[in-house]
Amino acid sequence: MFLLEAPLVARREVGRGMFVLSLDAPQIANSVRAGQFVNLGWSPGPLLRRPFSVYRTEGDRIEVILKAVGAGTAQLLAMTVRDTISCLGPLGHGFEIPSPRRGEGQGEGRGARSVALVSGGLGVAPMPLAARAARAAGMSVTWVHGARSVDELCSEADGDEVIWATDDGSRGFAGTAVSAVPETDMVLACGPNRMLAAVAMRWPDAQVAVETYMGCGTGVCLGCAVPLERGGYDRACKEGPVYRAADIDWSVLPAHLAYAISA
Amino acid sequence: MTTDMSVEVGGLKLKGPVLAASGTFGYGTEVPLLERRALGAMVSKGIFLRPRAGTPPPRIVETPSGMLNAIGLQGPGVEGLIRDYAPQWAQWDFPVLVNINGETAAEYGELAARLDGVPGVAGFEINISCPNVEQGGLYFGNDPRAAAAVTEAVRKRTDLPVWVKLTPMVTDIGVIARACEAAGADALSAINTFVGMSIDLNTRQPRLSFRTGGLSGPAIRPLAVHLAHQAARAVSIPVIGIGGIMGAEDALEFLVAGCAAVQVGTATFVNPSVIAEVHDGIAAYLTSHGFTSLAELPRYLPRD
Repeated sequence: MFLLEAPLVARREVGRGMFVLSLDAPQIANSVRAGQFVNLGWSPGPLLRRPFSVYRTEGDRIEVILKAVGAGTAQLLAMTVRDTISCLGPLGHGFEIPSPRRGEGQGEGRGARSVALVSGGLGVAPMPLAARAARAAGMSVTWVHGARSVDELCSEADGDEVIWATDDGSRGFAGTAVSAVPETDMVLACGPNRMLAAVAMRWPDAQVAVETYMGCGTGVCLGCAVPLERGGYDRACKEGPVYRAADIDWSVLPAHLAYAISA
Repeated sequence: MTTDMSVEVGGLKLKGPVLAASGTFGYGTEVPLLERRALGAMVSKGIFLRPRAGTPPPRIVETPSGMLNAIGLQGPGVEGLIRDYAPQWAQWDFPVLVNINGETAAEYGELAARLDGVPGVAGFEINISCPNVEQGGLYFGNDPRAAAAVTEAVRKRTDLPVWVKLTPMVTDIGVIARACEAAGADALSAINTFVGMSIDLNTRQPRLSFRTGGLSGPAIRPLAVHLAHQAARAVSIPVIGIGGIMGAEDALEFLVAGCAAVQVGTATFVNPSVIAEVHDGIAAYLTSHGFTSLAELPRYLPRD
């Protein structure tokens, strides 16, 4: 875990109002794993830091993806190149993707040859790193990305096969991303909790990255409680944000948040 | 020239006046980056006799210059604390106080008795001010007789330092402060969070599942300075000021207002090195104003 003053080095638009920020954060770029996040603080900004999945890394840079969903994210998007952003991370427990060399894979996904990366809206955030890790492990990657309509999609995709899904049919499959997923050995998903609950119904062993409100991001405040099927709670920031889909008690996890883990 | 920052508070000799507030530092073991160099003492996350699951999410929400929380004192219970955390505390060079909670005065007493003598446990902070539990908590902090009964129940079971954490949700904090002092408290922590509420206009429901939560952060600081000051005027035992401290100047306000020490809480979530920064900032203020020790800092504490 590192705490860095990271200069903003680039910004690009990847969807309507959806931006990727690139930050110079060498120690984090070199150690982050797919599904992990950074907790960002900026000035002027909100009191608490805001968590963002790491979207991509490129050399010493990390990228995060966001939309202006409130005053804080609007301030973040108003920053200019060379402004610095306080960056705490990498945080949390990411996706379990088998290691590249055969036979060294652990836990779920061992022996998998194909993976579906299923995302809704800003839930695309952890998927480029997941695609890279899966490909390094020798898997074929099916990229499934959905949103309400074409202009809410993230235009960047990274898969051997790419499937688009929109509720209104304005691009690709007309329907949800979940219903567009073909047969694969392994499923990783991120998006609104309602979508992830549908993932859990269809693939209990899928790995899902959940969204919660977060206070500290480091495990001390217990604010990001995730209700577990076996009872009790643990912390999205520490044991999560990635869980086995069937391990979460979806009836207690709020379906809607005013702002999201990736926003 | 080095400034003497040491201070004796409620039976403990501390290397500095900046402490970690309960519930904001976990058990001190979670975050490698949390700055411990300048820590005067740590107050643990609040503990009950038995494990507690805590409240359903959402548990926190940010508000203007503050946050509401309703965690519900999730924790491993006293046996888990003794097994998993106290042995680590025993190795540290600053004292750890355990924030204790109960549904009855007798439960507080039992907790103190169980923890008394456990290596790593240097004292107790009695929580009679948690707004996020159904039983006990805030109730004991509202009534001087109940506050005294809990303090006495703990005092009888331990010779370790006993601090009492007061709630701001009272008409006259001085009345409660004096009741705790008379019942044997060695110091008072002032204050815990204010009870607050926030509504989601999309769902037209409270944003927190517990409906209400405890408000912390800079939003409460002037209220907290006033209440800590009122408590300090009412008693002769030390008062530890708490409420929205983000930097050294905030801490100095509490110290000048009559507090012997301060606790930093919510700021730790944002800045893992805030405790050291506050400590160093206080020392720099003392030096630049010609004081060689914290004890020389003049206090604004008119007696009634």
